[in-house]
Amino acid sequence: MHKAVLTLARWMAVLGGLVLVALVLITCVSVAGRILNGWLHSDFLQGLIPGPADWLIGIGVGPLLGDFELVEAGMAFAIFAFLPLCQITRGHASVDIFTSRMPAAINRVIGVLVDLIFAAVLILIAQRLYVGTLDKMAFNETTFMLQFPIWWAYGASLFAAVVAALVAIYMALARLAGALPDPGEVDL
Amino acid sequence: MTALEIGIASFPVLMGLIFLRVPIGLAMFLVALGGLYLVTDGMTVALSRLKNETYSTFSSYSLSIIPMFLLMGYFATLGGMSQALFRAAAAFLGHRKGGVAMASVGACAGFGAICGSSLATAATMSQVALPELKRYGYSGGFSTATLAAGGTLGILIPPSVILVIYAILTEQNIAKLFLAAFIPGILAAIGYMITIAIYVRLKPDSAGLRPPVPAAERLQALLEIWPVLLVFLLVVGGIYMGWFTPTEGAAVGAAGTSLIALLNGGLTRATMVESFYSTAKNSAMIFFIILGAAFYNGFLALTQVPQELSEWVVSLGLTPWSVLICILVLYLIFGCLMDSLSMILLTIPIFFPIVSQLDFSMTPEEVAIWFGILVLIVVEVGLITPPVGMNLFVINSMDPKTRMIETYKSVIPFVASDIVRVAILVAFPGITLVLLRALY
Repeated sequence: MHKAVLTLARWMAVLGGLVLVALVLITCVSVAGRILNGWLHSDFLQGLIPGPADWLIGIGVGPLLGDFELVEAGMAFAIFAFLPLCQITRGHASVDIFTSRMPAAINRVIGVLVDLIFAAVLILIAQRLYVGTLDKMAFNETTFMLQFPIWWAYGASLFAAVVAALVAIYMALARLAGALPDPGEVDL
Repeated sequence: MTALEIGIASFPVLMGLIFLRVPIGLAMFLVALGGLYLVTDGMTVALSRLKNETYSTFSSYSLSIIPMFLLMGYFATLGGMSQALFRAAAAFLGHRKGGVAMASVGACAGFGAICGSSLATAATMSQVALPELKRYGYSGGFSTATLAAGGTLGILIPPSVILVIYAILTEQNIAKLFLAAFIPGILAAIGYMITIAIYVRLKPDSAGLRPPVPAAERLQALLEIWPVLLVFLLVVGGIYMGWFTPTEGAAVGAAGTSLIALLNGGLTRATMVESFYSTAKNSAMIFFIILGAAFYNGFLALTQVPQELSEWVVSLGLTPWSVLICILVLYLIFGCLMDSLSMILLTIPIFFPIVSQLDFSMTPEEVAIWFGILVLIVVEVGLITPPVGMNLFVINSMDPKTRMIETYKSVIPFVASDIVRVAILVAFPGITLVLLRALY
């Protein structure tokens, strides 16, 4: 069971990573296009090769329209998709300087409580995101430049948030059942 | 209870939760939820905020620089840049007393120029430098302490994830902050090298000697670090020249380091998936803390605590300098217990309004930038102060033969060097601001 959930979390991380790479590429293309476009408009190139310069501008050498909207939408999905792996590897930063001196039994209780609360919070986040998605759908909100419906991005994030909540629920139940030894510290 | 009282009471509750090992982001989230419930008489406000707050936090364009910088750092590791940097630094410094340790610091500084995270810098450079330090007879604690300290150069020398967060919280220009961090970063590297030189003279058995390298080999080693220079100049130079925004710069940097890793044969499907895992874990951790902090700071703003607190501090009539020093000392103390990112997110919304009301006979922007660099350095000291220095843990775990206590002992001279540097930078704001004044 643990292996299956871990695999799921890793797939989500790779999916998020691929989206991140795509955003990196989109941004680079847009930057390159903007800089080239600036050169093509420059007096030097307009004087030297006005025809080819205007032709290149004409076929669309320039910044990508609404690239930052894609970055924002993709980044939200990527971060939500990164959450499950952080959850299952207990990667969240915490301070254990005081608890490390407490008895093991207390630490076990804290561990179970933290995992249960974390699961509850991630369920809450996913549920609220669901309501948010319905809102965006109902009002038919679109982005400014690209005019794509915002709920698409919300929906993609919602999918990843649901996976994160499911992984958190699994972690809480597994800890409750004592199936997992307490690894304690941050896994880097 | 009034809203203000609830806001003030939320601090001890939050600290209590954090010290009970509740993950920091989660603790802030919970306290904000509870606080909003009390202040607004019900869950309606909190629940309606949450409909958009997670999405808007995770989709923030300026924050998207963070995963990109993380990815850039991991790709740089795959591209063998850490080895090249260490070889070059060792070729020039290695034959001196304590030279291999100095070379490790130098290489960390170089890697910090293409990596925005201290932990990543410390961990990456340790893989290269620890075996070399061992080979030339450097004692275990001295080696791990050197690398832990050297790793802090990762956030000091731009690009820096912490500075990005500071810039967003205080609405300052990231390019200017990066520029201002440059000289303090170099000073840090020099300070660490001086520390090493003194250390090995006081404890001669803690380090061995390395034979000098012929001049031709030095030149060769120097030539091999061109990819690092190229990426650094492209990213930081491009941001500074206004060719692209910081986020775009991070994307260009990530693409650049991935290309170099690809050409070096370091980037395969397996290593790429590994770097996705690391990026995922770190980004998720950072963003969850940011989410908790955003939610908590939203609640605090509602209770008026930051305004009231800063008015109260001003009404005390203390000199600006003593207030500043108190804040920095508080950071040093908290830094022993908490990680730097959480500390910045939690405290800047409270301390920044205080500091910006103080009169240091500088422009508000200069004060903001100078204070940012000072805070950056004191929280970075927290990474290497026992007992909860994250860098110490990471490096120590990479060297099973060295006991934690040995690392603790050897890191103290480095902490001392940090504190001396902070004192200098507090006393002479011009050191931090000189590049800025000259170039803008």
